Amino acid sequence: VPCISSGLPKPTNITFLSINMKNILQWNPPEGLHGAEITYTVQYFIYGQKKWLNKSECRNISRTYCDLSVETSDYEHQYYAKVKAIWGMNCSKWAETGRFYPFLETQIGPPEVALTTDEKSISIVLTAPEKWKKNPEESSISMQQIYSNLKYNVSIYNTKSNRMWSQCVTNHTLVLSWLEPDTVYCVLVESLVPGPPRLARPSEKQCVSTLKDQTSELKVK
Amino acid sequence: GQEFQFGPCRVEGIVLQELWEAFWDMKDVVQAQDNITNVRLLRKEVLQNVSEAESCYLIHSLLKFYLNTIFKNYREKAVKFRILRSFSTLANNFVVIMSKLQPSQENEMFPISENARRRFLLFQREFKQLDREVALTKAFGEMDILLTWMETFYQ
Amino acid sequence: DGVAVLPAPQNISVQSTNMKHVLTWSPVMVPEEIVYYSVEYQGEYESLYMSHIWIPSNWCSPTTGLECDITDDITATVPYNLRVRATLGSQTSAWSTLKHPFNRNSTTLIPPGMEVTKDGFHLVIKLEDLGPQFEFFVAYWRREPGAKEHVKVVRPGGIPMHLETMEPGATYCVKARTFVKAIGRYSAFSQAECVKVQGESLPL
Repeated sequence: VPCISSGLPKPTNITFLSINMKNILQWNPPEGLHGAEITYTVQYFIYGQKKWLNKSECRNISRTYCDLSVETSDYEHQYYAKVKAIWGMNCSKWAETGRFYPFLETQIGPPEVALTTDEKSISIVLTAPEKWKKNPEESSISMQQIYSNLKYNVSIYNTKSNRMWSQCVTNHTLVLSWLEPDTVYCVLVESLVPGPPRLARPSEKQCVSTLKDQTSELKVK
Repeated sequence: GQEFQFGPCRVEGIVLQELWEAFWDMKDVVQAQDNITNVRLLRKEVLQNVSEAESCYLIHSLLKFYLNTIFKNYREKAVKFRILRSFSTLANNFVVIMSKLQPSQENEMFPISENARRRFLLFQREFKQLDREVALTKAFGEMDILLTWMETFYQ
Repeated sequence: DGVAVLPAPQNISVQSTNMKHVLTWSPVMVPEEIVYYSVEYQGEYESLYMSHIWIPSNWCSPTTGLECDITDDITATVPYNLRVRATLGSQTSAWSTLKHPFNRNSTTLIPPGMEVTKDGFHLVIKLEDLGPQFEFFVAYWRREPGAKEHVKVVRPGGIPMHLETMEPGATYCVKARTFVKAIGRYSAFSQAECVKVQGESLPL
């Protein structure tokens, strides 16, 4: 039974949160209706096409987000989405997003960072972030395949000398040699894509220690 | 340094990042004015699978149209929406690009230039079918599509 | 209606160094009064397609100063017309226009400031942060007869960047210059700076 478009306030702050093409529509509940059992219905629209489309899994939902990754997966398209609040028989007007362009707006997640050490070196192996996929069985697409100009900014922090330095790399392996033995180094990596400004999502800081200097150990013995 | 390479046409001296930042400063304001969301001027058929050889002809036609028609008639709106600086940055950088594009006029290139012209006419026809003000607003708001396509030739 | 009784500002000129452009002018003297100035600009597009159109400067419309940082207004490598006028209450002066249009490709590029350090055997350089327009060509070599010079492009400035893993006991020297994509020009190289690495040098 269709609801009656009444004076119910609209949901607010409706935006897409997009990371590696996983596109989540999110919003805040309407103001002034705390405690009320509000539900929401979502529709989306492909810019240049004809009509709004339903997202069946996001009809009459009580949560304030909706995964539209499947519906917005052609990243050469641009999209709109809208939400309305429903309370009993009453519903609000639609609250609509601006034009969303996944190719330009998705945040590029950090690469996976694997560190291995020996006495005086640390080797860093980076695995490019993966594009979101509908189900795990699907073959993976690396964000590098979508953004050929993807680069990484690798920051290295020497906890003993308290020094930090960076390197901008495009390949996926980096060996830091001639390090100080028995020293903890911390590594932080960020993906960079030239173009419109994007929010950065650096990797978790990973710290690892170079091994003790074997030669000095032998001398001691 | 980086430069545009539209097939045989090479364009230096453009920092694409400046154009992106200029557009991003006005994107929300400009695109919010476009209510005719069921029409996209720079459709896939216009910009998809453009050959290197075609690209110089197509970018020349598009930028010429943007400078002579779109920017020229969008200025009052740019003042109204307080986006004159972004407007000027994009317009003046398009002037630089235009000044450096010399698409070949040789006969043997006719089939290629004709292909590019057909693509441009797709865009222009769609533009002319809309109300004038609506079309200007829509074309101005689609510069992210244009810049994204141009970036594929930025090396 | 403010009639132009105020004299127009004189001696308008642009000083541009490292892509930072400053417009300056002489004061309009009115005893015990504060005179305001407004700056406007016009790029090649505006002068070609809509010559009556001028755009207020981002930072100086109006200002009481005698200079205006127009860096954020000059955002393309084309000639820009620039003009200034004075205002005092309802009185406004005529516009004074820069005699020759300004193009940012005339900026003076000076060698970048740099700090060369080492972290153990790692050669690290921190270059002056000159903004997104700048790339840095860094040349470094091991100080020894017949040394080969290596070049690395570093961007952006302002953060320590790794250059090279050095060999014990050796001395490494570094110099840098800027490159500005937008105008396709380089600065001169900075003075070379050298660092010596601890430890005995490896047998050749």
